[in-house]
Amino acid sequence: MENLIIKATKYTPEINLDASTNILSIVGKSYPENTFEFYKPVMIWVEKFLEIKYEKEIVFNIELEYLNSSSLKAYFDLFDCIELAHEKGQNLAINWIYDEDNDIAEETGEDFIADFESLSIKLIVKN
Amino acid sequence: MDISKIRTVMEEEGVVFSFSGMISQTLTSFMLETAKTQLEDSGEDTKMIRSMFLIAIEQLQNVMSYSKERDIHQGNKYTSPGVLVIGYSDELQKYYVNSSNEIFEKDKEKVSKKLDEINNMEKEDLRKFLREKLRSAEDKHDRGAGVGFIEMAKRSSEKLEYNFEEINGKHYFHILAYV
Repeated sequence: MENLIIKATKYTPEINLDASTNILSIVGKSYPENTFEFYKPVMIWVEKFLEIKYEKEIVFNIELEYLNSSSLKAYFDLFDCIELAHEKGQNLAINWIYDEDNDIAEETGEDFIADFESLSIKLIVKN
Repeated sequence: MDISKIRTVMEEEGVVFSFSGMISQTLTSFMLETAKTQLEDSGEDTKMIRSMFLIAIEQLQNVMSYSKERDIHQGNKYTSPGVLVIGYSDELQKYYVNSSNEIFEKDKEKVSKKLDEINNMEKEDLRKFLREKLRSAEDKHDRGAGVGFIEMAKRSSEKLEYNFEEINGKHYFHILAYV
């Protein structure tokens, strides 16, 4: 499967979904106006990628400084899709990464942990 | 045209950034990055600036998505006329984000119902309410999750202030959030 790489803009994150290493990274800001359109290729890629069962753990590294409310929904949907794969036995981990002083990102991560109890979501503070 | 009159009003209202005209995503990003840098340079608290930024995103994207008048461009991109004011209230000693745009008259009831419901909630309830709405997706549409006001209220230190104004048969919506 081909990797999916999308360069960052001022209001969309850099996306690097690497099918050869099982490391899926999203880093930057996320506040596009057409959020669902922006994330559509990401959702399609992840769904397709998760159809195959891997021995190796799949790691999501998500580091978002700003999320608008529609992006919150987009990540909620992404986590839904990850949860489905988890239920089918896929080995997955999510690292929710943020700066020490970003209490909003921390709160968002906590909410995702509460909403997706079965998933392994780790909050990782950058110093 | 009396520019000194406008400048006087802006000084009185503690305006640090203002814009009136066609609001687009590119401009939203540009305006907010500018206001952010300006506040960072004057030594304001990073957390406050982040909240201000998020409140302003929601307000401006509401202007783009829900205005009566709008131009639709390729790739589902909207531009709509609106007003944005970011300022500092001496009275409350807080920054505020204020915006105004023309809306459909039929939306007035829906908007006030949503805002009144949100304004009756405490912070922890808002957090739960937002999560419920994200899960149910009941207010989701092709441009958003329909939860912008909840996010705005979560980031504000006061209740959201809003009102409608009718001028020459046009209906304007004003919203003010203190950071």
